[in-house]
Amino acid sequence: MHKYPSRLQVLVLAAPALVLLLIFFLVPALMLGRVSLYEGGGQSGFGIGGSFYQPGTWSLHAYRDLLTDGYFRSILSFTLKFGLTVALATVAIAYPMAFLISRMPGKWKMTAVAVVTLPKLANVLVVIYGLKLLMGTTGLVNQSLQAFGLSSSPVDLLHNLTGTLIAEIYLILPYAVLILIVTLDRIDPSLALAARGLGAGPWKTFWRVTFPLSLPGVALVFFLSLIFAFGAFVSPYFMGSPEELTIAVDVQRQTFENLNWPRGAAEAVIMLFTLIVIAVVWQVLTLASKRPWRET
Amino acid sequence: MALMELRDVVCRYGRRVALNEVSLAIEAGEFCCMLGPSGCGKTTLLRLVGGYIQPESGTIFLDGQNVTGWPPEKRGVGMVFQNYALFPHLSARENVGFGLEARGVPAAERRRRVEEMLDRLRLLPGERGRKPRELSGGQQQRVALARALVIEPKLLLLDEPLANLDRHLRERMRDELRELQRRTGVTTILVTHDQEEALSLATRIAVMLNGRILQVGAPRELYERPRIPAIARLLGDANLLRVTEARDGSLFLEGGLTLNSDGLACRPGSEILFRPERVLVGQAASAHPYQARGILHGISFLGADQIFDIGLAQGGSLKVRAAPDVLPSARIGDEVSVAVDPANAWVIPDPDPDWVATSSQEDGPGNA
Repeated sequence: MHKYPSRLQVLVLAAPALVLLLIFFLVPALMLGRVSLYEGGGQSGFGIGGSFYQPGTWSLHAYRDLLTDGYFRSILSFTLKFGLTVALATVAIAYPMAFLISRMPGKWKMTAVAVVTLPKLANVLVVIYGLKLLMGTTGLVNQSLQAFGLSSSPVDLLHNLTGTLIAEIYLILPYAVLILIVTLDRIDPSLALAARGLGAGPWKTFWRVTFPLSLPGVALVFFLSLIFAFGAFVSPYFMGSPEELTIAVDVQRQTFENLNWPRGAAEAVIMLFTLIVIAVVWQVLTLASKRPWRET
Repeated sequence: MALMELRDVVCRYGRRVALNEVSLAIEAGEFCCMLGPSGCGKTTLLRLVGGYIQPESGTIFLDGQNVTGWPPEKRGVGMVFQNYALFPHLSARENVGFGLEARGVPAAERRRRVEEMLDRLRLLPGERGRKPRELSGGQQQRVALARALVIEPKLLLLDEPLANLDRHLRERMRDELRELQRRTGVTTILVTHDQEEALSLATRIAVMLNGRILQVGAPRELYERPRIPAIARLLGDANLLRVTEARDGSLFLEGGLTLNSDGLACRPGSEILFRPERVLVGQAASAHPYQARGILHGISFLGADQIFDIGLAQGGSLKVRAAPDVLPSARIGDEVSVAVDPANAWVIPDPDPDWVATSSQEDGPGNA
């Protein structure tokens, strides 16, 4: 008989994670919320020499500013569009890759999975600087494009949207591919065989059987990529132009360059709130589509 | 012209030979069972016929056409997988309609044929909208059969279709399967390791071992007249005794059993098969001119009959299946008489080839 752990055991097992979350997430989040409710430093310009906020004050000033500020609204909508684009592109790129790998024989599959995971072993900054080297006007990518006659002059891949998207997708792709490999591997291979035997060609078999059965994994990858990309900092910061500001980058600028802590904090709170909304939508969708065949 | 024919088919998984120059012809309307222990290549053979794997060499004919290399969707063969392979995201109805949809049958006709087939397999209307997970094992099996049959296949392939059902249901489905095949007349190949299933369903059985077909024949023929000892062991319980001497119209067997050699052509060294139900024991044996003595080593009473395990005086043992009223008060250790009529003995014509001896020991006969 399987014995369920007692309440105490559950608590003991969960304690390290709970303490960690409490100290390093909940408390800072509350502090962040508090900072967003201060009155600004009261200094004009870049606030140099003044305080970052006025201690002891309570105000919704920062939020009111943000909501009426066309600049912030454009950043918010860009970040959302950026997240959706990255999520869609990641699914579209990762799926065929995962499909191919999941159908490889054992030894090749292990190798392929290792290759996919490899970029994640390097520090993200190393990866980004590597990408910068590759994607510069004299980088390997442009050299290849020209060598193959696909382009006559160097294509600008840095400090624009293209570069930012490529970098962000590059950072998320390994997770996406791994999740989809697991998803596809869990589908009983005899199902596709059965479909073929019933007269469906490979294409029809994919669309009627394999793809629908992999949808839970596709949804997971989509929402995970959306959440990652919505909070993107590194790729827009290093690869983007000032027009491709995500909220995360602006939080940094408001806090450390503009020294307007309430505003930076308020942006961070709005970002967090949006992410929570995305996560809730995802949960609701998952529960709504809960089908008996998914409980294996 | 056979409906399905395999000619010298070789199939390999890596370095392991799964099918070793297998040839087999199946006529229209036959119910053929491939019988053998796990790993003998029977499922490989089925998948080969369905087009799910391709042979390394050899030819496959279907309906007079060489279909070697054809993908499954071109072959028009229905298959029921061992785990049924029902599409978990589709309802029973949609599962059955899948093949018709793939063939471009118009929706109205599709609906009619799906309902007809489900009627035939006695799946209740209330169950037809359910997903496979919401159906019992027996219902899932009906859906799988309906899905394979609704496309009116030239050939129906069944991969251990009854293995996942409990005993009671298995026997009922076996009867239904036989009835269904008889009514539809669809040529069927069934793969099983269960000898009882093969004997009761098949019009012909092909016994497989180690990637080869050892013998093909009617169930009765294989059971009573196996070509080599390994087949005797695979199909039912077998007492195999070696002939030590043949003289004066008598055969002397190991264990001290003697036999009137009437009509039995054999020489010393041949193995003789007695099925347990053909061996006489108790009173019937005492009255017999050729009787031997043995000690009861085991008794298992099964209700309808009982099995005696009898150690022979000069070594070796016999399994005897007797009516429940034979030796009702016998106890382990009692001395009993045993005898066999020559008409109930079969001289196995050929010895086991070398490769059988090793493999049959690994797999064990008919591992149920």
